Amino acid sequence: MKHSSRRYADPPFPRDLAGRDRPDPFFRGLERLLNGLQPVMARLGGAKYPDGGASGAGRELPMRVAAVDRPAEDVAALRLEPEDGSPVRPWQPGWHLDLVLSSGAVRQYSLCGDPADRAGYRIAVRRIPGGSGSGEVHALEPGARVAVRGPRNAFPFARADRYVFIAGGIGITPILPMAKAAARRGAPFRLVYTGRSRAALPFLDELPSSPSGTVEVRSDDADGVPGGAELLGAPEAGTAVYCCGPPPMIDAVRSALPDHPSLPFFWERFSPPPVRGGVPFEVELARSGRVLTVPADRSALDAVRDAVPDVAYSCRQGFCGTCRVPLLSGTDDTVALCVSRTDGGRLVVDL
Amino acid sequence: MTSDAPEDEPEHIVLHARDVEFDWTRMDLHWIPGDPFATHTINVLHLLLPEGERWFVKVFKEALPYIRDERLREDVLGFIGQEAMHAEAHAGVLDHMDAHGLDPSPYVSQIAWMFRRLLGDRGLTGAKAESWLMTRLALVSGIEHMTAVLGQWVLDAEALDRAGADPVMLDLLRWHGAEEVEHRAVAFDLFMHVDGDYRRRALAMVVSTGALFALWVRGVRFLMAADPVTKGRLKPRWRDILRTGRQGTTPNLWRLARSVPEYFKPRFHPSQVGSTAKAVAYLAVSPAARAAEH
Repeated sequence: MKHSSRRYADPPFPRDLAGRDRPDPFFRGLERLLNGLQPVMARLGGAKYPDGGASGAGRELPMRVAAVDRPAEDVAALRLEPEDGSPVRPWQPGWHLDLVLSSGAVRQYSLCGDPADRAGYRIAVRRIPGGSGSGEVHALEPGARVAVRGPRNAFPFARADRYVFIAGGIGITPILPMAKAAARRGAPFRLVYTGRSRAALPFLDELPSSPSGTVEVRSDDADGVPGGAELLGAPEAGTAVYCCGPPPMIDAVRSALPDHPSLPFFWERFSPPPVRGGVPFEVELARSGRVLTVPADRSALDAVRDAVPDVAYSCRQGFCGTCRVPLLSGTDDTVALCVSRTDGGRLVVDL
Repeated sequence: MTSDAPEDEPEHIVLHARDVEFDWTRMDLHWIPGDPFATHTINVLHLLLPEGERWFVKVFKEALPYIRDERLREDVLGFIGQEAMHAEAHAGVLDHMDAHGLDPSPYVSQIAWMFRRLLGDRGLTGAKAESWLMTRLALVSGIEHMTAVLGQWVLDAEALDRAGADPVMLDLLRWHGAEEVEHRAVAFDLFMHVDGDYRRRALAMVVSTGALFALWVRGVRFLMAADPVTKGRLKPRWRDILRTGRQGTTPNLWRLARSVPEYFKPRFHPSQVGSTAKAVAYLAVSPAARAAEH
């Protein structure tokens, strides 16, 4: 890129734009204005509102497991209520909770209860073989204590003329409140709910029945593994497509989307993909001399965040550049902490 | 945040940057066909935003240690990534202008001086650094009100489609506009969290809208004079902005002006203006945003 950030790295005082050989009077004036403003601004400060601007949804809220239900094979549905009996924070279909487990693990689960019920939340969790978080959740009994953060919205349910909802297995959790809301509103919808077998599908008894919509339940053992086009059907213009399920299912639906009409496509996204095939390595923070060990399944950013809580990052996939820091070892000038690894060697960064 | 918003107005969106790419090889210099004035009025964004949004990122990174709320911190981190992507996407358009014989660097280097020197960290420490940071956060909050208004405008600007505007440019503007609407509360919430002084926020708004307006006028004049096709023969006139504002191919000046006083209401919050529903609906059809999700 020619007009990159680097090209403008060391800008001189602006010259006249019209080509006259003099400093630009506009920027002279702006400089005077700001230099005069700053002492005024400095005097105004002091009226601090420490709680302003923050919704408080980042705070951990202690909750109690009020009930545990087993709505399908390997699925636990938990009802969570605040320890102090206060109403839960409001939410909309598609929102999720961060569940902070006693091991310190944090897992994200979609809310699948009724948004009008302010006494508690419901989440449903499928046990993943070898999954530490889901195993810990499945071990929770009524009365157990957990902490939650949020709820937050990574799957916005926006108004549309009509809807197609596609849920695969436990992917029904965010879709169920959406489909119920569409049914309640009388909005036309089609809900496709698919999984390995009917026994693996939770909440079959709760699927909305409404004159405005249709519900199709299918299972791989009876109907075969569906293709994207089959799941999508033939939605007309103005249809919003909501999809939650295993990544291959989401990819199949995405690639079946027609070019015309262009339909809004929403799918659930949680954390960035896990690190696979990495090896442990070290990061040295040159300013403090601290050496951090990065395990095989974590990123350098994860390790640095533990040591430097205010380190800036954003996309965690290597493209936005926010976590780029000067690299003092090796050949590159900078390194993106979120995706850079070594084959066991050490990264020395200017932090 | 309001809790009594209608059910179909999504709230509390988790912000994330999108790995977008735009291909400008097929676009004309005058990407609103036959209307250099409207084209360049919007093109001023490409001159201002790369440096402006890099500055937002720097200022917000400086503010991270002042945040005591995890959710706000996540919002700010999401905002930073989105702004970083906006800056580079608009910088790509500068190369396109240059390749068509319009060298934007005289103007952009002025803007770079303003953001990197005049509005930079000035090497301050202690209380002076803190108070200068609060001033800059108040300026960002004011500018972000205007970018949210402009974002909502471009999402609604069907006149641009009717005028045959380049579809890739429309996608860039609407992807950017939608993310501005999506994150419109973050700069305000951050300022309220770390400072919150009404007089600072109001004073900063006067300065930032005044400067933005002046820079815009200067930008249009610069681009019209430097345009290699019209060769400076077309002088921008005030009646041009009234015409394009009426047609809807540029923002309507009066409507823009009316959106400024909202910000001065003591109980103002950005969630009171703009439609998150419209923003997320566009992001769900945007070719660039969709190609970025893999």
